[in-house]
Amino acid sequence: MSAIHPDQPLERVVAPDDVGDGSLVEDPAVRPPLVLNNRSFGELTEIVCGYAENPYPDKRLLLLLGLAALCAGVGGLMILYLIITGVGVWGLTNQVDWAWDITNFVFWIGIGHAGTLISAILCLFKQKWRTAVNRSAEAMTIFAVICAGLFPAIHVGRIWFIWMVFPLPNSNAIWPNFRSPLLWDVFAVSTYFTVSLLFWYMGLIPDMASLRDRAHRRLLGARRRGDKPALPDLIRAYVFGALSAGWRFSSRHWHRYEVAYLILAGISTPLVLSVHSIVSFDFATSVTPGWHTTIFPPYFVAGAIFGGFAMVLFLLVPARELYPNMKDILTLRHLENMAKILLVTGMMVGFAYSMEFFIAWYSGNEYESWVFAHNRAIPIWLSEDGAPYWWAYWTMIFCNVLSPQIFWKRKFRTNPLAIWIVALLVTIGMWFERFVIIVTSLHRAFIPGEWHMFYPTPVDILTFVGSCGIFLTLFLLFMRFLPIFAIAELKAVTPQAHRHHHDDEEAH
Amino acid sequence: MAGLFPKWTNALPTVTAMLVLGGLVTTVAGVWYYFTPKFWEVGYMPAQPGSGFNHQLHAGKLGIDCRYCHTKIEESPEANIPNVATCMGCHAENRLDTKFVKDAKVQFIRDAYAKNASIEWRRVHKLPDYVRNFPHHVHLKAGVSCYSCHGQIMGMPEVYQAQSLSMGWCLECHRNPEQHLVPPEDVTKLTWVEQELKDRASGRSSVDVEALVASLRREPPQYCGACHH
Repeated sequence: MSAIHPDQPLERVVAPDDVGDGSLVEDPAVRPPLVLNNRSFGELTEIVCGYAENPYPDKRLLLLLGLAALCAGVGGLMILYLIITGVGVWGLTNQVDWAWDITNFVFWIGIGHAGTLISAILCLFKQKWRTAVNRSAEAMTIFAVICAGLFPAIHVGRIWFIWMVFPLPNSNAIWPNFRSPLLWDVFAVSTYFTVSLLFWYMGLIPDMASLRDRAHRRLLGARRRGDKPALPDLIRAYVFGALSAGWRFSSRHWHRYEVAYLILAGISTPLVLSVHSIVSFDFATSVTPGWHTTIFPPYFVAGAIFGGFAMVLFLLVPARELYPNMKDILTLRHLENMAKILLVTGMMVGFAYSMEFFIAWYSGNEYESWVFAHNRAIPIWLSEDGAPYWWAYWTMIFCNVLSPQIFWKRKFRTNPLAIWIVALLVTIGMWFERFVIIVTSLHRAFIPGEWHMFYPTPVDILTFVGSCGIFLTLFLLFMRFLPIFAIAELKAVTPQAHRHHHDDEEAH
Repeated sequence: MAGLFPKWTNALPTVTAMLVLGGLVTTVAGVWYYFTPKFWEVGYMPAQPGSGFNHQLHAGKLGIDCRYCHTKIEESPEANIPNVATCMGCHAENRLDTKFVKDAKVQFIRDAYAKNASIEWRRVHKLPDYVRNFPHHVHLKAGVSCYSCHGQIMGMPEVYQAQSLSMGWCLECHRNPEQHLVPPEDVTKLTWVEQELKDRASGRSSVDVEALVASLRREPPQYCGACHH
């Protein structure tokens, strides 16, 4: 049947036409480079350490940092106001007793999952492209979990009783309810934060040691010349010196580092799945229609990875433009890979959205179908029984299900601007997903006499803006002062690090 | 790199870890012991107005029943403080031999009575607002003696708080009522109750505890709404 004669040489079917910045090679015989421009090991160290050492950072970054810090400050004031006054400053009512607070909690905790997935699961699967994003995604995880932890802590109202969430022996002889997923949440989130922080910190140790050594070398040079030592270098030498815990780049250190990295990756892997499953139990184990569904755990996990990758792209696509030479390390192929993940996970949440309707119909539960149809999907201008929150539902569908569909076209998955816009839309859509789940289910429950709309107060809004400010401030500080790539891992994936690499490969 | 940190800093991580661990243990132990009603509230003995009221003398030596003064205790949640008229029943002028009761000592009662004023006795046993409706009558009818919560009042010249009144302490009895129940008609016989409960702890009870527990109209409640409502 075959038209090709066995003796006939095969023609190249993949045309080496559009390779973008050089990383988009589709020829299976060619290994696509993960670091471009033939950067040497020394150059990579210079580039990455240079970001943290640059005495004159980009003005636009400083402006952004100022803005973020302002938002964070406003958020801090709002939290103070809430603690002094009580949760009544939010728009909560007896009917809608969870609204923006828990929406924000689930939103932020979900964002963190991309970092864990990249650092743990992609590490175990030996996905080498993760090296371009793992450090910043892990940082993002930690900052997102900080923002996430904030909301449940302040939504209890009397924050001085927050210790009651921990099972501590006390003279009231009361314990948290171990059968409540809200308690599992406490353990899930605090474990998640601890493991993520350890993972991130351990990865940082060799790179902080590099910064320490570079600062120390400059200090020694200054002393030899008889100059005054530069204060930033003094701070760097001692702070990174303390944090890098005596790292001396010895083979034994690297060996133990690799082992510890694998162990932490192994510990983190189940966390990718467990944390957001447990968050979803907060809803799924209650008997509120719209929450009481068994699809929630996988649906939440897929949504978390979806929203997390959107946030990674949302932050790193502009960073690529602002930081010199970053495009050599974070190539179009990296962006394309993450765009593909957005497409896949976006369709997973789309499947979950449609499955909710199917199960509501298939189970014959009229309350559940009512929630999905009349609290969410049917616009109020179409039917008297329609949902006043139709716009929230359809924003979610547009942003999460429809907008990533453009990534079927290669042209869009390799276009940073298109990726950034979709990432922004997905971030918005994922916030709305949590809002839809929480508020539309609560605002019209079993007793029509208790149906109420939820109206956010300025404090609600500014607290959320504040959490975005906290997140962005922390992230920008990280981008300014710490190595934003894992330098050693980066070097390991350069073309010249490959065992079949020859310097004269271009000649072949 | 040599020269950045002196050699002694190698000991810092160990020393820091030990300090942190020690601090943690000290904090936990300190909070566990000191931050409790058992530490802060047991022994609370506010100064009472006038020359006070000697429970050891009145209830102990003279044998006046608790209910002579705390009249509503069997039918009211509140263990009422007697009004001045109750005191005046004995301490009106020329009622008792001044050999036993010095006029000066009880003058504050007569003054209050003459002015139609109350004596501002100070509350010794304070519960938080949300459990202020503590039902004394229910507990008495179930057979919980005054002694179980207030201690040996008959031996107290001045009343002080004998028990912690913490929620954990309440629950201890609600979970194991057999350690405290006595026949309801004997709840105010504090010296007998003290002896009985001590005997019971060493396994020599003179009452049928099982019958007492069985006679309870309900299980002692342990859910939040039983007390906090």
